Amino acid sequence: MENKTRRVFLRWMAIQMGAVFGGALLASCGRQESRSLQTTALPIAQPLQPTEVDPTGAPLQAEEATAEPTETPASHPHLAVARGGEPGTLVRQAVTALGGMQLFVNPGDEVIVKPNACVDYRTYEYAATTNPWVVGEIVRLCLEAGAGRVRVMDFPFGGDSESAYRRSGIQEQVLAAGGEMEPIRFLKFVETEIPNAIDLKRCQIYEDVLLADVVINVPIAKHHSLGRLTLGMKNLMGVIRDRPYMHGNLGQRLADLASRVRPALTIVDAVRILRANGPTGGRLSDVQKLDTVIASADIVAADSYAATLFGLQPTDLSYIVSGLNMGLGRADLETMKIEEIAVGA
Amino acid sequence: MAPNARKRRGVFSRPWTSLRKLIQALALLAFLVLFVLARGETPGSTTNLFLRLNPLLALVNLFATKALVAGAAVALITIALTFLTGRSWCGWLCPLGTILDWIPLHRWTKGRWTPGEGWRGVKYALLLLTLFAALLGGLTLLIFDPLTILTRGLAVGVWPALDKLVTAAETALYRLPALRTPILAVDTLLRPLILPPVPVTTRASALFAGVLIAVVLLNLFAERFWCRYLCSMGALLGLMSKVALLRRRIEPGCVGCTICTDACPMGTINAADDYASDPGECTMCLECMDDCPLGGTTFAPVLSVDPMRSYDPGRRQVLVTLGAALGGMALIRTVDPEIEHPFALHPPGADAEEFYSQCVRCGQCMRACPTAALQPALTEAGIEGFWTPVLISRLGYCDYGCNACGQSCPVEAIAPLPLVRKQEQVIGRAEIDQDRCLPWIEEQECIVCEEVCPLPEKAIELELAEARLPTGETIILQRPLVIHDLCIGCGMCEYKCPAVGEAAIRVSRCSGEGGLRGGQGRRRGG
Repeated sequence: MENKTRRVFLRWMAIQMGAVFGGALLASCGRQESRSLQTTALPIAQPLQPTEVDPTGAPLQAEEATAEPTETPASHPHLAVARGGEPGTLVRQAVTALGGMQLFVNPGDEVIVKPNACVDYRTYEYAATTNPWVVGEIVRLCLEAGAGRVRVMDFPFGGDSESAYRRSGIQEQVLAAGGEMEPIRFLKFVETEIPNAIDLKRCQIYEDVLLADVVINVPIAKHHSLGRLTLGMKNLMGVIRDRPYMHGNLGQRLADLASRVRPALTIVDAVRILRANGPTGGRLSDVQKLDTVIASADIVAADSYAATLFGLQPTDLSYIVSGLNMGLGRADLETMKIEEIAVGA
Repeated sequence: MAPNARKRRGVFSRPWTSLRKLIQALALLAFLVLFVLARGETPGSTTNLFLRLNPLLALVNLFATKALVAGAAVALITIALTFLTGRSWCGWLCPLGTILDWIPLHRWTKGRWTPGEGWRGVKYALLLLTLFAALLGGLTLLIFDPLTILTRGLAVGVWPALDKLVTAAETALYRLPALRTPILAVDTLLRPLILPPVPVTTRASALFAGVLIAVVLLNLFAERFWCRYLCSMGALLGLMSKVALLRRRIEPGCVGCTICTDACPMGTINAADDYASDPGECTMCLECMDDCPLGGTTFAPVLSVDPMRSYDPGRRQVLVTLGAALGGMALIRTVDPEIEHPFALHPPGADAEEFYSQCVRCGQCMRACPTAALQPALTEAGIEGFWTPVLISRLGYCDYGCNACGQSCPVEAIAPLPLVRKQEQVIGRAEIDQDRCLPWIEEQECIVCEEVCPLPEKAIELELAEARLPTGETIILQRPLVIHDLCIGCGMCEYKCPAVGEAAIRVSRCSGEGGLRGGQGRRRGG
């Protein structure tokens, strides 16, 4: 009597489990084929001529990054700087000067926006985390350009991602703009090879960053004792799992990482900059309000310009030097075409 | 076979038993829901409700601190319930009791060995010992309280194991592309609410889960073995039940069929005493009333003191346990715990001197701690601080934006500090071991401790130093130093230190600990 019921129960369990896993298998089969780890962010090395964009809106072909950085078309500046206005306006003006978000985001694209939300105990006033309105406006611009889905993510080193999203104020503005927050799932850190790397040959990178059509990097410009400043390339630390390892040879390892992640666009939030006690901050006296946003498809150029806000030369930062050596971008601020926009004036 | 056949007839044939089982299930569910919610946004004063309902915890804390914690007044509900209806807490509400009811292991062994009646006295002896030790300021025996066993067993035993199990299964299955979407959906459901969103480490989980499992395994010897013979909280409620209003009564219709003696989970219905039972043992489960075919058992109001039984505590037990408590406390207190245990860091807001006499060892703070920095002391705090929470900075750090432990403490042994106060609270002080620190010994760049220091004015400064590499090359690098007056000992630096094994920066106890940063600190012997 008792054996029989146990057998019936086990059989019933087996049928149920089979149905669940079978269903899941069928449901997810079709979905995975459309993506692969090969499709990465738009390489900046690719010429960003509007004529190359398929007018029907088909996504650009991802190409292997070439060693030589190529010029952006003559009609658009290599880098745009907007000053003196509301954070959202600054972002919109800077991106418009670069040629508009539709140059970077195609209709239907899966977009990952990577702000800096490094800890879960600071609000945006302390300039430890990216300005929420800057992030919100980027989400809005992506959606206006026809992006299919815009997700915002960072892997903080203090606290968990969801509390950092809330405390920093980023979540509120992103949701209001129609974007989504991506809670960090440790399952999604995948061991990834970095083919062009000099030091960091392998690394656990967040899967969604590799799968996204477009990655937009939104660092906040702030002080950091080892890197001197944390800017665009340093901000990419938030897409990998093992941070302390990076500190051994920070400049080169950051450049290696940037060669794999390849953000399509780097927008440096210098609305408030943190001049000391970074990267975590906590004293308003260390914060300087600059009301500035820097945008460029070239992560090295964006970082180089941001360095000057602190009175530093681009080559003072080890990761800019490594980035230049790897051909990831330019730092010749005197010769590159820069458009400066005075929003408030 | 006969009683079983009658039991199967349906829910309504045993209305009181059915109602009790429903309430037991709901109470256990409520306990588990509150346990899960204890890590997160829900106020700690809500999620620690079951612990505050426990009169034993409130009483020993009162005895040891000689001060009343306002929040502990909730225990009056249980006390009132007990004076009205006896040990109904045990039969109807206790989450551990319900688990023991649901795992009837005694049916396997069929009572091959059952403890004699004298064993019931063990729980009274334990209760007296606990109370006398508490009067002398020792709360270590609270590790035997049923709710602390359950909370601690779940928080630092079962739950971490569950997390490891789920994570391992998810990681394995996530490799199959077809399963990614369902696995992610499951993961999103579980984290951050039920399981921790970031990987956490817990020490000695097997020990704490093992205590809980051992309590369950005692069911092999007798139904509700724990409740009958060992439970000190049950003993306290049992003593009150001697004068409870509602008590079991045998009606004249009883014919001595022994159905009720077999049905009683506490085994307290004594055929030799005309089927009377001890209200100090009866959990008011009402099985005997439901099962009696002749209506021979009822429960009715009585105003009297029930007679003492042979196993009830008498003058001798009181004197023996008092002596044992005095001797035991004297033996434990031969050494100043601060000197012997320099790394036993208390949670932020704990009184450095009095903490061991305030903490009831429930483990609720350990569930609330999002980084699993708080873990039961094994050897760090000696016998006096056994299983009190210690902050193990190498395993988890005190999050600068979190004050959950103080909010969740049922007896305010960890003060419920507002966040801005907690951020100034000195837990200990970091010290750099220059023989282990990378920039000091290996001439390697590393500033991790300074980078992660959450204080507005960092408590770690970097000094520039010239270092000679093995190649003969000279470089300038930054070496960390702790600024003692600024450090609060949150342990973020120790947690993140990339040194292999023991960190090159360690937090230890210090003067001023337990007070505010920069405030007048406590001095040893002062």
